[in-house]
Amino acid sequence: MKMKRTPALLALVAVAILAAVAGSVKSAVAAGPTITIWADQDRKTAVTQLANTWAAARGASVNVVVHDFGKIRDDLGTVAAADAPDVIMGAHDWTGQLAANGLVQPIVLSAATKAQFPAYTTNAFSYGTAVKKLYGVPTQIENIGLVVNTALVKVPTTFAMLEKEALAFKKKKAGNLAIAVQQGTNGDAYHMYPFFSGLGGYVFGFNKAGNLDPSDIGVASKAFLRNAKLVDKWNKEGLINSKVDSSTAQNAFLKKQAAFWITGPWNSDTLKKSGLKFKIIQVPKIAFPSVPFLGVQGFLVTKYAATHGVESLAQDFVANYISTPAAQAALANASGRWPANSKAGASFSDPVLAQFGKAGKGGVPMPNIPQMGSVWTDLGQAWVRSTKGAGAAKAAASFTAAARAIADKIG
Amino acid sequence: MSANTAGLPDEAPRGAIVPRVLAFFSGSVGVAVKVALLAMSNALAAWAAYVLIDRGHWIALGILVATTAGIDALYFGRHTLPAKFLLPGVLFLVCFQIVPIVYTIDVAFTNYSTGHILKKSSAISQIELTSLQPPANGKQYFMAPAHDSGGDLVLVLKDQVSGATFIGTEKGLTPLPKSDVTANALGITAAKGYSIIKGNELFALDQTLHAFHVPTTGQSSITPQTISTAVELEPTLRYDSKTDTFTRISDGVVFRDNGKGSFVHGDQELEPGWKTTIGFHNFGTILASKALRGPFFRIFIWTIVFAASTVFLSFFMGLFLAIVLNKKGLRFQRFYRSLILIPWAVPGFLSLLVWQGLLNDDFGVVNRIFHLSIPWLFDANWAKVSCILVSFWLTVPYFFLVSMGALQSIPEELNEAAHVDGGAATQIFRRITLPLVLIATSPLLIASFAFNFNNFNNIYLLTQGGPTQTNQPIAGATDILISYTYKLAIATGKGQDYGLASAVSIIIFLIVATISGVSFSRTKALENIN
Repeated sequence: MKMKRTPALLALVAVAILAAVAGSVKSAVAAGPTITIWADQDRKTAVTQLANTWAAARGASVNVVVHDFGKIRDDLGTVAAADAPDVIMGAHDWTGQLAANGLVQPIVLSAATKAQFPAYTTNAFSYGTAVKKLYGVPTQIENIGLVVNTALVKVPTTFAMLEKEALAFKKKKAGNLAIAVQQGTNGDAYHMYPFFSGLGGYVFGFNKAGNLDPSDIGVASKAFLRNAKLVDKWNKEGLINSKVDSSTAQNAFLKKQAAFWITGPWNSDTLKKSGLKFKIIQVPKIAFPSVPFLGVQGFLVTKYAATHGVESLAQDFVANYISTPAAQAALANASGRWPANSKAGASFSDPVLAQFGKAGKGGVPMPNIPQMGSVWTDLGQAWVRSTKGAGAAKAAASFTAAARAIADKIG
Repeated sequence: MSANTAGLPDEAPRGAIVPRVLAFFSGSVGVAVKVALLAMSNALAAWAAYVLIDRGHWIALGILVATTAGIDALYFGRHTLPAKFLLPGVLFLVCFQIVPIVYTIDVAFTNYSTGHILKKSSAISQIELTSLQPPANGKQYFMAPAHDSGGDLVLVLKDQVSGATFIGTEKGLTPLPKSDVTANALGITAAKGYSIIKGNELFALDQTLHAFHVPTTGQSSITPQTISTAVELEPTLRYDSKTDTFTRISDGVVFRDNGKGSFVHGDQELEPGWKTTIGFHNFGTILASKALRGPFFRIFIWTIVFAASTVFLSFFMGLFLAIVLNKKGLRFQRFYRSLILIPWAVPGFLSLLVWQGLLNDDFGVVNRIFHLSIPWLFDANWAKVSCILVSFWLTVPYFFLVSMGALQSIPEELNEAAHVDGGAATQIFRRITLPLVLIATSPLLIASFAFNFNNFNNIYLLTQGGPTQTNQPIAGATDILISYTYKLAIATGKGQDYGLASAVSIIIFLIVATISGVSFSRTKALENIN
């Protein structure tokens, strides 16, 4: 008897739940065109506010989905079309990979708007082996600088002075570091870039069309090799040591065991709270200007916007709204970074960020071509090998090997 | 063999509980639980079906319906008792083992990698889209789609620089008096004689607008970009669907499908490409490429050394500790036992990162306390030692537990009898304890070996496979096969190469399967001793 009744009961429960699901889905569909945006937790509130303001003016609606920033690039390649975002936040060095995958749509900024952005910020988001297209609207910029504890040392104006001050400070007490710059076992080509560029190294050259050329690798450029002996000297003196990792470097500076620290605006709150007297400068010129890598973040329109039939709207949000000074200032405030739009920058004030901005003068945007993935480890490891103190490899040999390895990997 | 043989006196009451529990669940309570569980499973299926229908995944829907119907039929049937117990296991086996394996094999035969993730049709339209470029003196416009008096779609356009106004149709541009058009900050709001399309009607036109071209001079045309702007662009490539080729307009160069998911001309390649099946090409690459093949043997040897020494060192240490702490009358026995389990209780991720800090040669605690200056992580050979040491530390508690269980299952009489016969402690250990423990633990030893063979976390969190070697582009000194595969997948060429990595995974799978298979057949020989 029981056996006959149960299937009916089962069907009843199933139908009830099906109805509930159908009901909830139906109510979601009725709202009209919706733009889905992937933003990280930190900027969710700011992005939601901006997007709602924009949506109210246009009569559309938005759905801001929190997505871990570090995962946005790769998840966009695997997400199901139905769940895919129409607009994402992104870093400029993802541009090549996203565009090569065909996952992002070209954006056209009006000439007047484009003029409000420093050329390097829009170049950073441009990619194309044949025709170079803009794929993102820059929103904020960041770079590292040399933080100097002015209570402990003088602010150096030349590299020789930096070297002298740093080594003198190191000798004062056991446990002191000369320059606190993070590497660790895994290396950190990003934080070492000022020294790399100062010695005449570069990552990729440019071809005739003005595009980054992955076959021109400058990790062991002639100029760099000519100056590579300096690295061996720094290693011997202990100016730089690859065994210093990020927490060692930060702790040393905060505990006054280092007077020089190379870091970026993500530590500006730490610096403000530290109570230390400090000034942020660019690493003084070595043989060439010791410029840092520049990082640009921005908003991109995905290919799925076209699939979802909301491309014009998504393009409008990114190209016509996110590019405005007001939106840029709001985003910069939320992220603790300098805005990319120079009009927004003119009315933006933050003493620490401003100093970091100055330290980035003449900087090089991180290469945005997908081949960059083959560079980070080897360039970082070349530094690790040649600055690990006793038993370190000669810099010339180490960087030559790295250049060959990178060329092999890129193929 | 297992520990429960020790508890003979408990047998009687336990025997009474089991039938009672069975009886309880066979009654109406059991039916209610069954119905509730099945209703949940069916509701889940109904929800999944809704999603699948919505997205048009018809094959998956078919499988879902068949499986759900099968589950219902099985649990309402009367004569399928063994199947009722087997089914959940089989379902999980299919979901978590068979599907990933099939997927990996499928990917290994494709070119799935950076630049090859779309379907061919999407890749073609993406190439067309990205090949557009602004012509010399190309203009940008404020734009508003509108209906003309006949109800046809037109674009009201206003040059962003000169302010000149036009009506754009698929035939071309017609000038419009400036005074006829009103605009505000958001764009064009009105045009005399035309009704501007707004709101949801405008949003619904998305795909129509992007296909709408207002021809200007030459190949150029004006196309809407956003809901309120349009731009003049000219194509640089033309696709011919008959020959399936792209032709570059400026010099007539033809790009052809190279059968590997790209349009190419010589060494020039159009981006993006698409995902396609390329047969044994990935396996061929592994054999042919010196950079890949070169370190393979060296890494293979190190992987075996790493896995074998981790397992054997930890096993003997675990066994030793178990024997020591198994001694009757030992004070604080429980305390010691729990102490040994600590490495196992702390999440591996955390302890690996902590170890990385401890082993730092200038600033790490290990070198400081012992006044050493050993380059634990910075020297190729010491890094290998560190990897084994840390894995050893993480694995000992496991073998301690396992050995303790095995030891307790050895009947006390055996040892006593050996004593009476005058056996020395070492003899008893070698002839009695070890063989009996091994019978119980050898399958676990093999499983642990297979696990450590692919122990990505230990290697990657401790050394990232490093330190790198100057003569090796990809593999570091401590890379095991699986971390090497990961590096192949994410950090070579133009980004990620999932196809190649899957092919290497299959090779690793074959190696592990062979080793395990041979070992298991040896274990059977061991069991025969008993």
